[in-house]
Amino acid sequence: MFGQVLFSGLALGSIYGLVALGFTVIFKATDVFNFAQGMFVVLGAYLAVTAISLLGLPFPLAILFLVIASALVGAVIHILLIQPLSGRPMLSVIMLTIALSIVLRSVIELTYGPQGRTLSTPLPMGVLVVGDVRMSYLHLWAALVSWLCMAIFGAFFRFTSVGLLMRATADGHEAAVVSGVNVNAMNRVAWGIGTTLAAIGGLFLGQLQIASPELETIGLLALPAVVIGGMQSIPGAIIGGLLVGVIEQMASAYISPKSSDIVIYLLLLVILMVRPWGLFGQRELGRV
Amino acid sequence: MNTNTSLSRGQAWQKWLWRLLAVAVLAYLPVVLTDRAAFGIALSNMQLLNLGLTQVNLMLIAMLGALSLNYLTGSAGLISIGHAAFYATGAMTAAITGSQLGWPFPLVLLSAAVSGALVGVLAGLPSLRVRGLYFVLSTLAVHHVIVYVFLEYQFKFFDVVGIPYAGAKLGGWELNTPIRWYFFLLALVVLVYAGFAASLRTREGRAMQAMRDHELAATSMGVDVRILRLKAFGLSSAVASVAGALFAYLLTNVTSEAFGITFAIQFIAMIIIGGMGSLPGALVGAAIWLLLPSIIGGLAPRSSEAVGLTRLFLVEGRAQFVQLIFGMLVIVLLIFAPRGITGLGRDIRQLLASWRGR
Amino acid sequence: MSAALEIEGLSVAYARKGLALQDVNLSVPKGGIVALLGANGAGKTTLIRAVTGLLDLHHGAVTAGQIRFGGQSMLGVPAHKRVRLGMGQVPEGRLVFKHLSVEDNLRVGADILPRGQLHEGLEAVYTLFPRLRERRQQAAGWMSGGEQQMLALGRAMIGRPQLLLVDELSLGLAPLIVKDIYKQLRVIGETLGTTMLVVEQNARLALEFAESAFILAGGRIAFSGTSAEIAASPAIQQSYLGGGAAQAAGEEAAQ
Repeated sequence: MFGQVLFSGLALGSIYGLVALGFTVIFKATDVFNFAQGMFVVLGAYLAVTAISLLGLPFPLAILFLVIASALVGAVIHILLIQPLSGRPMLSVIMLTIALSIVLRSVIELTYGPQGRTLSTPLPMGVLVVGDVRMSYLHLWAALVSWLCMAIFGAFFRFTSVGLLMRATADGHEAAVVSGVNVNAMNRVAWGIGTTLAAIGGLFLGQLQIASPELETIGLLALPAVVIGGMQSIPGAIIGGLLVGVIEQMASAYISPKSSDIVIYLLLLVILMVRPWGLFGQRELGRV
Repeated sequence: MNTNTSLSRGQAWQKWLWRLLAVAVLAYLPVVLTDRAAFGIALSNMQLLNLGLTQVNLMLIAMLGALSLNYLTGSAGLISIGHAAFYATGAMTAAITGSQLGWPFPLVLLSAAVSGALVGVLAGLPSLRVRGLYFVLSTLAVHHVIVYVFLEYQFKFFDVVGIPYAGAKLGGWELNTPIRWYFFLLALVVLVYAGFAASLRTREGRAMQAMRDHELAATSMGVDVRILRLKAFGLSSAVASVAGALFAYLLTNVTSEAFGITFAIQFIAMIIIGGMGSLPGALVGAAIWLLLPSIIGGLAPRSSEAVGLTRLFLVEGRAQFVQLIFGMLVIVLLIFAPRGITGLGRDIRQLLASWRGR
Repeated sequence: MSAALEIEGLSVAYARKGLALQDVNLSVPKGGIVALLGANGAGKTTLIRAVTGLLDLHHGAVTAGQIRFGGQSMLGVPAHKRVRLGMGQVPEGRLVFKHLSVEDNLRVGADILPRGQLHEGLEAVYTLFPRLRERRQQAAGWMSGGEQQMLALGRAMIGRPQLLLVDELSLGLAPLIVKDIYKQLRVIGETLGTTMLVVEQNARLALEFAESAFILAGGRIAFSGTSAEIAASPAIQQSYLGGGAAQAAGEEAAQ
């Protein structure tokens, strides 16, 4: 039983880690606490539905469609909403992302209807049995792809020149401008990446459950994950995601299914009171 | 000199005349909405902006919620995303003292206020430790916890259908018609508004506003900023809790789903639209929250006649369309008019005044 | 055009502080080394910000006048673009990327260069500042002030700018290190022919280093001339640069 719970916890946690990573990229680049990240997950699920069921694209093309479309959405959001509000107090920007999530939700519901849509992909459906742990292929694929994306992002961030410029921008805004970095373009890339990572998470969550606006609550678990892991820390986001996944599954199995969210939010409260900068973060406290 | 005094007397007359007019309108409004006619002339649905008295009552309750949130956020500088949780607190307290223990209505409301204040202070405790973004997150966590408690309570003592509320009466006067609710709630809104406004004028109130802008300045005024914050939270949550109890009694039945994060966010949207930190702004925001769906509903042609996008937006997806407009309104205001509608109003008045001055 | 940088009738105001520069005229000839002097608050940094395009980051704006770089008007050109057009910047406070390594810092600056020239560029900087080579993998935030200044300079130079703008190089640094850095700057000027505009509070150092200077006072150009002229005139120095520097410079000139 324990092994089973641990497995699903780690698998789901990998997806949460991916979404949390996207969140952190956005936060590091533009200092925006993106409450709409949950809706980006939903967006991903619906983009997948569109590509596969409505447009009938073959799976690899559908993935490409998902990545490009979500990156575009992220970039457009940055141009229209985030750039104009740069320099405004953090409260305003938080409200903006909350309002954005409202708008996204209503657009999605108007386009696809408020009920969920099933998402069917050619990913294998069977189960791999190891000892007394049943590992569904879907979970395995979700975890694998999440880790692959994280690795790709890590390599991009570390080894490419755009990644270097993004790291520089996160390090110091004015310093980057002075060095000739097009900071607005870098932030746009960050938003595109953040949205895409969430959308990929939505692809898997949508298939593990169903593509519906309710996925937002699951996507929002990235927020406590990021805080627990440490807000501006990339490894923190990933580990936070894994922790949240494991804790969620443990609570669901050993306490009750309804309690899983609460346990996480209680943990969030504890962390905020005891060690607000999270496990891997640095001590600078929140601004507003 | 003479002209000045006669002018100010004239202005004083003007002010009182406007106030009298407002009172008259407010008093006659419920009659108009119930009879669907004014002074004997029948009014169409469209002319009445598709409003019913029940919706106005819901708006009045929302005003209580918005006022309390604005008091907390705009004046004291504390941001709470989970405001709906205090509604839930009040509803749950009312369920215990009213539906289960059968206490008289005024005591039920009082118990809601007390429990709201207590929970509010507890919810405000993280502010002693963290600030800014982290505090906002703590309010989100608190929201989830409280709604969960409500959910567990609902399922333990009642059932999935919801918790029933009955017996709203003050002494012998029973709140069993929308008109009676209207006057009761209106009186409450006026009372709460006046109370908050007065509180902001006291030394502590001014310190709180200073606290919003600069903590050191407030401390130099000789007030303990941390205690002040908790007091603000307690007062704000008490009012919201009473609003939640009233909400439950007005609807006569609530479930935990009524208090989701979406509902909490509506309040934030209200105060942004109306104007943060301004008490009139809270009223404006709540009014718009009420009017928007009504107006859009009024625009909807009969369902059989609607086609295409109109059908989608105004008939089938009307609720979503309202949310869409609401969200976009918040975004537009945040970008172009960060002080909300009352801020815009102030700017326009200043502009007019400077023209007149020339 | 023999002028690398031309400023005509420039006025600049800040949102909250009001007018900071009024009707400033200044030109720097190609290959020239010019100092910008003046007391604190005279507007030196504001002028540099106007040239580099960093005004709006600090809530300021050009209210009148023109700035021409290589004959091209710079008004409305975003700051990062100006860097890519050949304006290297060493800002006040150095502004190195604290969490990035020395080499990564330089690579950011080298982004302007075509791919093949990165290695060459790095080598050039390391030859100029051997201490940076020693510390190439270290995080920049841990280095001393002098090393950070060298890094900021290297980052600006690696892209081979035509114009180098240096703001308050000597602030917070030991005199020996400052002398050393100015020596290297001289070398750069002589070998590469880079035009330089240097803001410097230490008037004596500046006059030693530069060929000519502009003196700002109260947001206006109070005086301009060759370094020799300024150094030889105690009156000018007394009025605009403050007594101490004047005395020292006067003594130097008398020798």
